[in-house]
Amino acid sequence: MMTAFRLELRRGRMLVFWIGLLSALYAGFITLFYPTIIENSADFEKMLEVYPKELMAAFGIVGSLSDPGVFLNSYIFQFLWPLVAAIVAIILATRVAADSASGFLELPLSTRLPRLRYLSATIVGQIIALAVLAAVTVGSIWAVDLLIAPDFPIDRLALAGVHSLAMGLAIAGPTTLLAIVFLDRGRAGGLAAGILVQMYLANVIAQLSPDLTWLANLSAFHYFDLKPVIDTGTYPTADSALFLAVAIGGWILALLAFRRRDLAA
Amino acid sequence: MTHAIEAVGLTKWYGKRRGILDIDFQVGEGEVFGFLGPNGAGKTTTIRLLLGFLRPSSGRATVLGHDSWTDAPAAHAGLSFVSSEPGYLGELTARQQLDYMARLRGLTPGAWRAAAERLELDPTVPIKKLSRGNRQKVSVVQAFMGQEPLLVMDEPTSGLDPLMQREFLKLVAEVRAEGRTVFLSSHNLPEVERACDRVGIIREGRLVSVSTVGDLQASHWRSVNLVLAATPPPGTFDLPEVRIVAADARDVHLMVRGDVNPLLRRLATINVRDVSIQTLEIEDVFLGYYEGPNGSASRERPAGDESAMASASATAGETASAGESATATAGEAQR
Repeated sequence: MMTAFRLELRRGRMLVFWIGLLSALYAGFITLFYPTIIENSADFEKMLEVYPKELMAAFGIVGSLSDPGVFLNSYIFQFLWPLVAAIVAIILATRVAADSASGFLELPLSTRLPRLRYLSATIVGQIIALAVLAAVTVGSIWAVDLLIAPDFPIDRLALAGVHSLAMGLAIAGPTTLLAIVFLDRGRAGGLAAGILVQMYLANVIAQLSPDLTWLANLSAFHYFDLKPVIDTGTYPTADSALFLAVAIGGWILALLAFRRRDLAA
Repeated sequence: MTHAIEAVGLTKWYGKRRGILDIDFQVGEGEVFGFLGPNGAGKTTTIRLLLGFLRPSSGRATVLGHDSWTDAPAAHAGLSFVSSEPGYLGELTARQQLDYMARLRGLTPGAWRAAAERLELDPTVPIKKLSRGNRQKVSVVQAFMGQEPLLVMDEPTSGLDPLMQREFLKLVAEVRAEGRTVFLSSHNLPEVERACDRVGIIREGRLVSVSTVGDLQASHWRSVNLVLAATPPPGTFDLPEVRIVAADARDVHLMVRGDVNPLLRRLATINVRDVSIQTLEIEDVFLGYYEGPNGSASRERPAGDESAMASASATAGETASAGESATATAGEAQR
C-alpha cells in the first residue's frame, strides 16, 4: 500500500504545488489590503450600500468589511477556497477513473495489492493534498498578517482551515464515489462540478428571496460560513461533522463499489 | 497434473453485448499455453476474468488454486501480468515504472535489470518519449523480472522488432525450463507455434479448439510460391494436402496443409529457381472458424482464383477442427 501511496503523492505534487502557489499569492495579496479596507471602511460601506443587501448576503458580505470575519470569509474562504477545493478534489478523486481508462489501473491491481488498499491509498492522497492546500491558504493569510496590523487570531485561522478542509473532503468523498460508479473521468468530474455549481446557485438564490431560503439547506456552501469562527472562535462543529459524514460516506460507498466493480467494460 | 489455471463455464456479458461464452479450459503447471484469436474474439476479456478485473456473469476461474474473482490478491501474488496496452505513466522513466511494479510484486527495486539488458531497454528514458516498441519492451521486462510461477501475457510482442521477438521466445523457453507456467495470448500464429505446448483458439467469445501445437500445425495451411526453371511434368503436385491455387507455366502457387516434407521431396526432383513458404495470417486460419458449421462455400470456388486462397485455408481449418478430413487435393484443384 505504501508503494501505491507514495506514487499517489508523487503524481499529485505538481498540482498541489501550483494550486498552492496561486492560493498563497491570492490569499496573501488580499490580506495585504486589509489595513486599507479598515482605513477606508466608511467609504467602502457607502459604496456597497449601492447594492441590495440581499445580493451582498448572497456573496457572503453581511456586515462591515472591516470586520475580519466578513473580510476573510467573503474574499478568501467563500471565494478562493471553494474553487481550490473543487478543482483539486475533482482532479484527484477522478484520477482512478482516468487510470482505468488508460489501463494504468491494471498494473497495480494485477499484483498482490487488494483493490481496497489501492483505493484507500488514493483517498489518503486526496486528504493530504487538501490538507496541504488548506494549510497553505491559512498559512499565507497568517504570514501576511504578521506584516500588517491588526492581527488575525492564529488559533481562529487554524480552525477556519480545519473547517475548510472538511468542506473540501465533502467534495472529494462523493466525487470518488462518482468516479468509481462511472469509471469515466469526464462524466464523474462533470457531474461533480455541475452539482457544485447548482449548489452555489441555490445558496445565492436562497439569499435573494425569503420564499426560497429553504434552498440554502440543499447547498454545501450554506454550511461553509467561517465568519463566526474568525470573529468569535465558535467552531461550526455540526457543519464540520456534516461535511465529514458526507466525505466518509462517499468514500465508504466508493470502496464498497470498487471492491465489486468490473474494471473495464 | 495440477492446474495453474482452470476456467469452468466462464461467461461474461457486458449488458447485452457478448464478452465470452461458456469457456472451459485448463492450463497445467509448467505448461506454455497459447491463446489465439483475432481482435474482438474475447482474449482480453478472458484474461481480465482470470485476473479478477471483471466479475464472471457465470462460471468461474481459478488461478493457482485461488478463485480469480473472490480471492484475486492471493492469485496475483503468484503471477506476473503484462497487458496488451499497459497504461504506463508517461512522466515516469522506465526505471521508475519498473521499480514501482517490482515493489508492488514484492521484488527488490532493480530486479528488472537483467531482463532490460537482454532486451536492450534504456531505463532512463521517460515512458512518454519511448516508441511503441520500446514501451512494449518495458512490458516484457516487467513480465520476466520476477520468479512468479505463472506469467500471464496479453499480446506481449506486438510492436517488438523480429530480434526482440526472438529474444522474447528465448525468455519464454527459459521460463518453461524452470517449470513455470505461461499463458500467452496472441494473434501471431508462428510465435505461438514456437513458444507453446498447447493452443486454445477463441472465436466470437467461444473456445472452439484446444489442441497441441503439433495438431495445430497439421491443421493449417501454408502458402508456397515456386518459380521453376521449366514447366513441371503433369501430376508433379499430385500430393495429399497440396492444392494448386494458381499455375502459370513456371510460376506456381500452392497451398499445403500440415507436413511440408512430401512436397519438399517432390520439389527436389525438379529444377526450382525460387521457393517461399509462408504461414497464413492468423485471420486466414480463423476464417475457418467463422464460416459456420458447414463452411463449404470455399470448396466450390474454382482453383486459380486468388481470392479463394484464404477461403481454401479457412475451409481446411474448419474441417480439421470438426475432425473431418480435408479432401481437396492438387488433383481436384487441377480438375
